[in-house]
Amino acid sequence: MDLLQNLAIGFGGALSPINLLFALFGCLIGTLIGVLPGIGPIATIAMLLPITFGLSPLGSLIMLAGIYYGAQYGGSTTAILVNLPGESSAVVTCIEGYRMAQKGRAGAALAVAAVGSFFAGCVGTILIAAFAPILAKFAEQFRSPEYFSLMLFGLIAAVVLAHGSVVKAVAMIVLGLLIGLIGTDSQSGVARLTFGVPELYDGVDFVPVAMGLFGFAEIMTNLDRPSSERKATSPVTSLWPTRQEARRAIPSVLRGTAVGSFLGILPGGGAVLSSFAAYTLEKKVSRWSAEFGSGAVEGVAGPEAANNAGAQASFIPLLTLGIPSTPVMALMMGAMTIQGIAPGTAIITERPALFWGMIASMWIGNLMLVVINLPLIGIWVKLLKVPYRILFPTILVFCSVGAYSINSSTFLILMMAGFALLGYVFAKLGCEGAPFLLGFVLGPLMEENLRRSMVLSFGDPIIFVQRPISLCFLLLSLGLVLLIVLPQFRQTREEAFQE
Amino acid sequence: MIRVKNPQDFWAGVLFLAVGSGGVWFGREYDIGVIMRMGPGYLPRVLSLALIGIGLLLALRALALAGPAIQRSLVRPQVFILAAIVVFALMIERFGLAPAVFVAAIVAAAASREMRWIEAAALAFALATGTIVLFIYLLGQSMEKWIF
Repeated sequence: MDLLQNLAIGFGGALSPINLLFALFGCLIGTLIGVLPGIGPIATIAMLLPITFGLSPLGSLIMLAGIYYGAQYGGSTTAILVNLPGESSAVVTCIEGYRMAQKGRAGAALAVAAVGSFFAGCVGTILIAAFAPILAKFAEQFRSPEYFSLMLFGLIAAVVLAHGSVVKAVAMIVLGLLIGLIGTDSQSGVARLTFGVPELYDGVDFVPVAMGLFGFAEIMTNLDRPSSERKATSPVTSLWPTRQEARRAIPSVLRGTAVGSFLGILPGGGAVLSSFAAYTLEKKVSRWSAEFGSGAVEGVAGPEAANNAGAQASFIPLLTLGIPSTPVMALMMGAMTIQGIAPGTAIITERPALFWGMIASMWIGNLMLVVINLPLIGIWVKLLKVPYRILFPTILVFCSVGAYSINSSTFLILMMAGFALLGYVFAKLGCEGAPFLLGFVLGPLMEENLRRSMVLSFGDPIIFVQRPISLCFLLLSLGLVLLIVLPQFRQTREEAFQE
Repeated sequence: MIRVKNPQDFWAGVLFLAVGSGGVWFGREYDIGVIMRMGPGYLPRVLSLALIGIGLLLALRALALAGPAIQRSLVRPQVFILAAIVVFALMIERFGLAPAVFVAAIVAAAASREMRWIEAAALAFALATGTIVLFIYLLGQSMEKWIF
């Protein structure tokens, strides 16, 4: 069977001792940063990107995948123990997880979250392995108009699924697109909006933007809060769930996985939407629905599984179409580009070892989290007790050195400071950084495809409607726009994000 | 007198308006081209104008509809954090890794009001050592440890 053969190639690459070591190291260091209060997967990956640059392409992707899973796991640990979500998808985990911790079931909540995530990760991995090649085959018919419409759809989905003001999310995307266009124009060779700075000729570098907007801005907003607001950690006793907890968690994990795998493929905030949807579903179907809000194990198991399945499934559009559907995937794409890999349809046929190796490593990363990381929980809890005044200078220094090590440029560090300030201002003004990052990454791609389409059609925009696949994406986009305009849906959306 | 009822949206609108205007101004010399052959200035212009439009919408709407206030901002941490990054950037090439990290760490630590001098110095020393070990020895980056 093709699938098995492919997976064998993948595991052959991923199971080499050095790559296993990268996966392990990625998981550990991802957890290490992800567990820090208030720092979610996006910030973690942005901070840790530079340490992967020196590795081989496969090694660096394996390590990044490890960092991603580690960061997610670390994020739920903090959500459960301190009630501080690192990112929006962990908000749901806080609701029931923290209550469980208060009842003395912190260990069980962590174990259920980890095992649930592992199961969902396995399903997600199989899903990618099975569907990515099919989707890639289908995507081979895509030309510029299709790609443009697809990206437009992705951006609109990002607006609908972002929380907070729709208008501001649109503005952030437009701003991201604009910043993304800085640099030498690929067709005419004109340096655009570079202000004569040679470092900008190749475009605004990805790492300082991500680090500044997500890593540093996070630190700056945290320092605005008095330290007394930071909460005490719940003690972790036994990691073993009781028999009843396990019995109640299993169906929730299954449902969560299904929800996450389905919603995660959608462009936009796959993981966030999945966890919210899974929580609502659990609340509806659970026999113990009265317990929700006071520490129901289903409310941890379902959303955590959905979150992970969604995160896994969101790799599919990146690996098959070359289009990042979430900010984390935008970071992954940035990392791949730096490694000289162009994500997209060609990656499966041209670099099968890399593609399948990465898929295999996702599964390995998930396994490592359960087998190695979960028992280390004591260490991660201790980390939560390190005072913030020690943590943040450490993070700042490592990020700065990391950013400098990319290409020894002082200018990039200064630019990073600029984006840190910008990110801080955004946070104060209630503007989300995530849509900005998506726009920033997609900007040059969208421009290229739009210009090519216009050349193809002799300047007639009707080309986007004439081609069936492109029309489909446009109709889907229109549907999303209608959804957001309709008052009913708007209300549900606001309620969902309020919880 | 007009009152701003939604300060977050108002200032966000002003920010977008400013960036959009900047985009139009600095992009004024780039060739716009025609829709069939878009010049390098086409999309930047369109996006800048869109930003101006959204910015205006946000700012004007903020005069009519009430919204949350902007949360209090402390000056000290923000200044010291940004200063730490800038100090690092300015020192790394002239003085090398260890001095740059040491000073940047102390400046960063000063961002917190709970800062203690001895602790900060110890942390800065540990970080200087740690970054040398990680980046120069383990990751094999070509950086100077220190330059006198």
